Amino acid sequence: MNDVRELSSLAAEVQREYATQMDPTYVMDIRMKAIQEFEHAPIPQFGKSKLDKRNLDAYSIACDQQLSQDWRVVAKSYMDENANAPMMVIADGRVVHSTGLDSLKEHGVLALNLRQAVMMYPELVQEHLGSIVPFDENKLLALHAALWRDGLFLYLPAHADVVTPIQILVVTTKGSQGTFSRNLIVAERGAKATILEVDLADPLIGDEVHVGVSEVIVKDDAHIKMGVVHDFPKASTNLLLHRAQVHHNAQMDWVIGEMAEGFTVAEYASLLVGEGSRSTSHAVALGSGRSHLNLTSKMQHVARYSESKTFARGVMKDRSDAVFRGFTHILRGASGANGEQNERLLMLSPKSRADAIPMLLIDENDVKCGHAASVGQISEEQLFYLMSRGIAEQDAKQMIVWGFVDPVLAKLPVDLVREAVVRALERKMS
Amino acid sequence: MKSVPELKIEGLQVAIEGKHILHGVDLTVRGGEIHAIMGPNGTGKSTLASSLMGHPKYAVVGGSASLDGENLLDMGVDERARKGLFLAMQYPSEVSGVSNANFMRMALNSRLGEGNEMPVLKFHRELQKKMKALSMDTSFSERYLNEGFSGGEKKRNEILQMTMLQPRIAILDEIDSGLDIDALRIVAEGVNSLRGPEFGVLVITHYQRLLDYITPDFVHVMMQGKIVRSGGQELAKELEARGYDWIKEELGIVDETVTADK
Repeated sequence: MNDVRELSSLAAEVQREYATQMDPTYVMDIRMKAIQEFEHAPIPQFGKSKLDKRNLDAYSIACDQQLSQDWRVVAKSYMDENANAPMMVIADGRVVHSTGLDSLKEHGVLALNLRQAVMMYPELVQEHLGSIVPFDENKLLALHAALWRDGLFLYLPAHADVVTPIQILVVTTKGSQGTFSRNLIVAERGAKATILEVDLADPLIGDEVHVGVSEVIVKDDAHIKMGVVHDFPKASTNLLLHRAQVHHNAQMDWVIGEMAEGFTVAEYASLLVGEGSRSTSHAVALGSGRSHLNLTSKMQHVARYSESKTFARGVMKDRSDAVFRGFTHILRGASGANGEQNERLLMLSPKSRADAIPMLLIDENDVKCGHAASVGQISEEQLFYLMSRGIAEQDAKQMIVWGFVDPVLAKLPVDLVREAVVRALERKMS
Repeated sequence: MKSVPELKIEGLQVAIEGKHILHGVDLTVRGGEIHAIMGPNGTGKSTLASSLMGHPKYAVVGGSASLDGENLLDMGVDERARKGLFLAMQYPSEVSGVSNANFMRMALNSRLGEGNEMPVLKFHRELQKKMKALSMDTSFSERYLNEGFSGGEKKRNEILQMTMLQPRIAILDEIDSGLDIDALRIVAEGVNSLRGPEFGVLVITHYQRLLDYITPDFVHVMMQGKIVRSGGQELAKELEARGYDWIKEELGIVDETVTADK
């Protein structure tokens, strides 16, 4: 380790904070390198999402040592609705509650918080941590790599089949200064599981920066479904990066409910590195207030006969604005690959804005690729038709909106995500 | 609501995007009566239908229209429907993600009013019965509203909605277009099944053919955005045999469409 005096003050703070929490050397090394990267790297550019206009200093290195009970207020209704589910609750960077995870051990499945896993299972963690989401990809990811607090570590041995979805509830309360959650999921050959992360926050939190990262390694013939429901309040700045590496004949399904009212840049990506690997992405987003959403679904076809399908529906009300980017990249050598995209956005108010940007990058000849994208408003003819049968204007609009999201909502491959999205839509559309 | 319905149109003038289309239409449709409006293309027939229902594209610039003595023009589209007005549309909209059955249940319950909603089971029984009467496959109830329906299926679906909602006055806008003779007969039976003193119909059509199955009590001819001739069923027969030119000649009309300079 370097002498503290040679480090910048930020690095020294990170050193103080995390070394005392007994992070092993291989983790501390990444943290120290990452903080240097953070200090020098430029602010990442995400098209119209102007991160440089956000307050990116709104984070703190130290976790508040006084854990309040505020998280219970935020988490209560969700926990009550899922009382018997295997669940880990992480509040302001610390595990505050855990049910039904130990019993998975019987089948050799490890489900515990990552901070503990880095100490207990370095042979499983070290190889994968930071392997798909590198710490030097951009400034905020560097910050995250330096400060990440906790999250789920899930290890599925070969052919493990976890039927009940494993849930991680990440709660941020007022004054906690940043979420910085991190998950690492490793599925060995033929293993199956469904994971759901739900991100909730106190509506009164300020303009803090939140960065969430998942790395999912789906080995040969394995099948992972991961749902993320993100609902953060209006002042927040959020960067989410959930990425999977999908091996031979394996499958990764992303299921996304994006309801945040703040400023959010999110990327869900599958790197299809194994022959015959598959990935789907289903996203339903609702913009409200002055929310800004930049949602990218990225499918990177490296291997032959890899397949991907991307479906998204976005509903923008009030003054919200959204950019949906479907990014399908078929690399040279990925012959027989097949990528499809379907993105549709509906603007409910004249002050809302939406863009659907399908991007197909194809460096191989023998492939199939297709996309459909649209941005529109509620059609006057449809509204007239429904109302001409006696249905009031508000009800008719609701029917059209529900009908608009239904083709994707009905097919969300994780029931819990669908239920959470339906509840959020009901609440925010009324 | 047991009274005999009355749709009363007086001197109705309608414009679209500033262009005058209807130049004073007078017409009264009462329960038990079937009126047919005939006329060549572009004479304002569909405009009359859509503007009575309250389509936002059409602006009423003169005259009046009332249903059972209440001013229709003051009502929103949905309110007109709840009062018992129905428009079977020439080009029904497709609404993705909304099932036909859910839509109809919502519509019916809106018409019946809060507290009088039809129980779910009874609704589905009624729906099945009425679909059968219209020779519609029951799978139509779960399909998205009009999405991927053929022209004829859409028209049947309009009539299905009408028989479910049991309006007081129904306007059928070119319900016969795109129907073969069997479908035409079935649709006409649907309309005839509602006949009675509490149901009045305004049929808009190009062709006399439909009127072989739905026998009108009154036939009106529309030209240049006005009703220019009225008569009984024999007028339709005469139009079928002689076309419209003799009326134009009698009235000294050269161009019968609404765009004609007057």
